[in-house]
Amino acid sequence: MINRNIHILHNFNILYLEDDVELLKQTKDVLDDFMQEVFAVSSIKEAMKVLENEHIDVILSDILLKDENGIDFLKSLKESTYIDIPTVFITAHTETSYLLEAIKLKVENYIVKPINLKELLNTIHDIVLPINQHKEAQKSNNLIKIISEVTDGKQVEVIKYIMLHLDESNEIHTSYSEIMSHIDISKPTLVKLFKKLSEKNILINTSHKVYKFHQDSLDNL
Amino acid sequence: MKIKKILQALDAISFGYKSAFLLFIIMGGMISIIFLSQVSIYTIKNDYDLLFEKRTKSIIRLENIKDTYIVNINETLNDMQKNIINLQQSAEVITLARQLIEKNWSNYNKIISSEEYQISWLNAMIKKIFIMNGEKPNIILQQSIIKNIEKKQKRITRLLNEIFNPYTQVKDLSFYMEEMNYEINSLSIYITSLTNYDLNMAIQEKRDTNKIFDLLSLILNISIVLVFLFSALLSAFIISNFKKLHFTLQGDVLEKTEALQKLNDTLEIKIKKEVENSRKKDTLMFQQARLASMGEMIANIAHQWRQPLGSMMMIIQGVQSKMELGKLTPEIINSKVIDALLLAENMSDTLENFQNFFKPTKEKESFSLKSVIKHSLTLSKYILEQRKIKVSIKISDTIKLHTYYNELSHVFLNIIANAEDALGSIEGEKFIEIIAKEVNQKIFIYIIDNGGGIKKDILPHIFEPYFTTKYKSNGTGLGLYMSQQIIEKHMQGIIRCKNVCYTINNNKFEHCALFTIILPMKESTDDK
Repeated sequence: MINRNIHILHNFNILYLEDDVELLKQTKDVLDDFMQEVFAVSSIKEAMKVLENEHIDVILSDILLKDENGIDFLKSLKESTYIDIPTVFITAHTETSYLLEAIKLKVENYIVKPINLKELLNTIHDIVLPINQHKEAQKSNNLIKIISEVTDGKQVEVIKYIMLHLDESNEIHTSYSEIMSHIDISKPTLVKLFKKLSEKNILINTSHKVYKFHQDSLDNL
Repeated sequence: MKIKKILQALDAISFGYKSAFLLFIIMGGMISIIFLSQVSIYTIKNDYDLLFEKRTKSIIRLENIKDTYIVNINETLNDMQKNIINLQQSAEVITLARQLIEKNWSNYNKIISSEEYQISWLNAMIKKIFIMNGEKPNIILQQSIIKNIEKKQKRITRLLNEIFNPYTQVKDLSFYMEEMNYEINSLSIYITSLTNYDLNMAIQEKRDTNKIFDLLSLILNISIVLVFLFSALLSAFIISNFKKLHFTLQGDVLEKTEALQKLNDTLEIKIKKEVENSRKKDTLMFQQARLASMGEMIANIAHQWRQPLGSMMMIIQGVQSKMELGKLTPEIINSKVIDALLLAENMSDTLENFQNFFKPTKEKESFSLKSVIKHSLTLSKYILEQRKIKVSIKISDTIKLHTYYNELSHVFLNIIANAEDALGSIEGEKFIEIIAKEVNQKIFIYIIDNGGGIKKDILPHIFEPYFTTKYKSNGTGLGLYMSQQIIEKHMQGIIRCKNVCYTINNNKFEHCALFTIILPMKESTDDK
């Protein structure tokens, strides 16, 4: 059962390096349903080509390839500065030497064959989540910026100020005058803003100079 | 006690010395006897001769003197008196006669006093030692007679002088003549007595010589008898010694032979035990080898199964995942089932191959060489593919064998496995070539790989049991040993190995290992 939001995987590309062709095929087949694009390769050469030409978010690699070593591949990747892609090792070998080297290379996870699909998906999810969140955050920031450009920038500043000074219980201890001292805004505009926020139940005056922010009201919008 | 000690000492002397001693004694005795006899014979004869000569010579001289006196002088004087011859003639004759007498007398004296005619010192010694009939030669008598004779000679000479003195008167002449007669007669009597003396002496000396001879012969006989007895005794003694020695040695030899016989018997028993032991060890080793190769097989199976298993698991999970996403279609199920079944079949085949491999074959079968080699290659397919080793088989389909299929397959598998290991560590092209030829009722199988060959110092040992160049747990050292046992003992074949240079497609490879297996086409125990 999927207890994470696997859907976020849809936005990401994965490079899968495995020399067992059959396994490669079957796994790609399954991952195709979840990822944006799965690049399945069976040699380091092909992998390098893909890395040069495509945008890859996660690398999934076997350690023992025909005549090649996945760990060496990763090492050479880490050494070249422009490529810093999170990697997961999938392998049938659990020798300590491999584990140690993998840890040194700071791989995200180390999965043992035979592959457990859930485990794999969860791992990938955990890797891409930050990226996803980063993206989302980026989007929100962009949104705010655009809005502030298009609308009254000062109101946006006030909202930013409030959001910034919330404590753990989502309360802010402030007054109009305090806000006005920080932001160049007329009082009537400020009062109007606060009223609107209160109407929507977003920011409520619970007591003298204390306002509470209700996250859930935002969700219901 | 002393005698005992002496006897012991004598016993202790070695055999060689004893026999030499005996021989020496006998020889010595014989030689001394011979020597003695010879010496005695010669001295006696010598003495006899000498004495004989001495005496006869002296007697002859004396007789001569006597004759001269009587005939020459007396008769002449008588003749002169009778005037048959004249004075001058008689004087001449008498002078001549006197000269003769002088000469003979001096000779006689010479002879009797000559050292030449002394008896040999040996006989003198014997005479002295054995105190012979001590009749000393009466020299005094001889001397007195000689003195008398000389006195007479002087008188005769004086008389002659008187007679031939021209101043002698005739009447004195007849007186002188008569005196002369008388003197000459007495002289001749003296000479005769001297002669008798000499004769007596001769007889005496003959007696002496006889006595000496008797004595010597007695001594000789006694010594012969003594030597004979002594040597007989000694030989008896030594022979008895030899007999004793012989018997003791014989006894020793018998003892030793018995001991040896016993030892032999115990050794035979030991050998039987050891041979049994060694056979047990052999079977044990064989079993070990089988177990080892079983272990290898299982590792192979594990290897060969791992991937299909992984893929199959992914297929199954994929089905579930697709269903959860609502993407499961009959087509997808079909294709996944096909894939899965293929993988499962693969795994099953692997099992079967190995199962067959370990069935103990007690029967010989007829099969083609190509099929058994292909079978072995199938079993190692996984590693060959993984390491990208090219295998080429140049065997005619018509080469057939009648022997133990599995065991032969085992041998090929072992050699191919070794080649795989050698090729694992080299760069570049990797190949294994298997070629077979039929020559003179024999099949020659050549397996060549370019894995670098086998080091010279290792090459003589590769077929030895427990010999391996791999690190501990990776090699048992039994593979080639088993292969050799199978080929040589079960199939009456030969297996060899050497390093060669091999050319394929105009590429020369310097360091290749070549395994040669020679099998008889039909074994002599075939009843077809």
